[in-house]
Amino acid sequence: MPPGYHGCYLRIDLSVGRAERVSLSDTVLRQYLGGSGLGAALLLEEGAAAADPLSPEAPLVFAFSPLVGSPLTTSAKFAVVSRSPLTGRFNDSLASSGFAIAGKRCGCDAIVIVGRADAFSVLVVDDGEARLEPAEDHRGEACPVAEEKLRLRLGADFRIASIGPAGERAVRYATISHDGRHAGRGGSGAVLGSKNLKALAVRGSRRCEWARPDELIELSRDLSRRSFGPATAKYRELGTATNLLTFNRFGTLPTRNFQSGTFEDAARLSPEQLSAGRPRTRASCVACTIGCEHIYPLGDSGVRIEYESLFALGSLCGVSDGDAVLRATRRCDELGIDTISTGGTIAFAMECVERGLLDEPWLRFGSGDAVLKAIELIGAREGLGNLLADGSRRAASAIGRGSIAFAPQVKGLEIPGYEPRALQTMALGFAVGARGADHNRSGAYEVDFSNKVNRRHATLESVRHAIETEDRAALMDSLILCKFLRGVFTDFYGETAAMLRAVTGWDVTGDELRETARRIVAAKRRINVLAGWTLEEDTLPDRFLDTPLPTDPGAVLTRERLQALVAEYHRQRGWDARGQ
Amino acid sequence: MYVEFLGIPRERVGLTELHVQACSLGELLGTLAARFPAFTELLTADGLHPSIAANLNGDEFVRDPDTVLAEHDHLLILSADAGG
Repeated sequence: MPPGYHGCYLRIDLSVGRAERVSLSDTVLRQYLGGSGLGAALLLEEGAAAADPLSPEAPLVFAFSPLVGSPLTTSAKFAVVSRSPLTGRFNDSLASSGFAIAGKRCGCDAIVIVGRADAFSVLVVDDGEARLEPAEDHRGEACPVAEEKLRLRLGADFRIASIGPAGERAVRYATISHDGRHAGRGGSGAVLGSKNLKALAVRGSRRCEWARPDELIELSRDLSRRSFGPATAKYRELGTATNLLTFNRFGTLPTRNFQSGTFEDAARLSPEQLSAGRPRTRASCVACTIGCEHIYPLGDSGVRIEYESLFALGSLCGVSDGDAVLRATRRCDELGIDTISTGGTIAFAMECVERGLLDEPWLRFGSGDAVLKAIELIGAREGLGNLLADGSRRAASAIGRGSIAFAPQVKGLEIPGYEPRALQTMALGFAVGARGADHNRSGAYEVDFSNKVNRRHATLESVRHAIETEDRAALMDSLILCKFLRGVFTDFYGETAAMLRAVTGWDVTGDELRETARRIVAAKRRINVLAGWTLEEDTLPDRFLDTPLPTDPGAVLTRERLQALVAEYHRQRGWDARGQ
Repeated sequence: MYVEFLGIPRERVGLTELHVQACSLGELLGTLAARFPAFTELLTADGLHPSIAANLNGDEFVRDPDTVLAEHDHLLILSADAGG
């Protein structure tokens, strides 16, 4: 067993009440590292592709990483990996903070949960020993309430990952929440709920050795020092919410369900306006020196808001009332639902109302009250909410009449806040993403905002840039390090290899990590193929193809060009014409 | 020419926009650094720090200090990283 690892995972079968330690070979650890990569390897090992994501047989993996617990800044992160109940495809969602450290101290590199508890329960893993405790008293509790009460009940040194009411009701984009942060995309909260679990509580005392502690500490000091520099200043000083005005300025801010790339009231949602007369505060994840969280006051508490929540519950729904967006964000956090999929699905329904396809006259673009009402219905799966709780793709299938053309999703996952017609390298990243349209698995927007490509006219040259950002994301999600650090590296693969050498003692090089990243991307694709993926899934909705962005007539992505980009992507990945 | 600031550059300069005379990107950055000392932390010996981008007339992103600028150009200087 290499330093940095425990060399095993804890496999818990809730149906038969058994927990066992399963060895992980050095080869598997070196090939897949941890986090998303290790999670993908374990899904393949468990045969996850054959099981319905909400069935008892479906595995749910909480994967830690070799860097967790080290002094490297931003390394306190964990990945939740499963098949997505929203997309049916591979899903990995990451979250930060003390749960990652406490989970790894349980003496395992991952916790794999299969089966279904007989009664609504909390799964407690205490220093590696697993048990179920009743959770009926916590049914219906909001995420932060459940977490607080469970820590009071179990002990303050436990760390809790819990679902809210939405996860209990199998909302297909329910999150798993920890310490105010969410493993947010793809519905991992619904998977945990399907196992009749309210939460996973962890506590442990088993630390890993590091191969070269002095070297690791020196690398950590250097990384922390650089994390205070200009490469992270935007996150630290302004937060991601500042993107809204920038994207609006470039005409790339999705507005009214992607019917426009600019929002006339964007200034009302700027960080300055949201915090006018009520100063915002900052917070950090455990073991992070960046401190990207900006908390906006609302009533007698605060709301953490990111660009993605601001765009999805704001401009995408045509809402310019900052208070309404803050309230909507807080309610999503309490219910435990992904703000991007929530906003995307509501915006889709608003357009259906606008086109006369849905008879819900209250659900109009621009109404903050309508967004709040829709969120409540989704969380309760009541009325229209029962339809919207399944996401925009399933809602479009039910509504029919061509509405799938403007359902804002890829593979069923709602598109984040980047207008694909005006950011075409990102459009490719969305189309080919293993978990669907996502900005955390493809950072190709960075390429579009550079002098490397023409953002309104992607060429085959764009493909290698898209692959590079996808590979880098796969490695960061497996080591794990926060992507907000990415700008501090001058030699990303070489520098992260040095960190991994110091932790594990492996003679790993930057070139090896490049190959590792590609292997991890391929493993995600392999799971999708086994789960029934077809080439036709690597595309965008019709809305984005062949028709200019109304607010930017020069932004046209033809179907033919996207298909050529996807084919070139598959070729450069070494996959055949069927993308396999 | 007309220069617009977004994100961290706006914080460092303390303005949203500015009219400046400059024949090249390098000359413009030098002028801004002289006038706004806090702006210098966004520069390297080669020009803009990698975390900062410059966009010319809404179309092309530029980094080369020798990039020629004209009187009627409109330059946006912004934080390059997105995401969240």
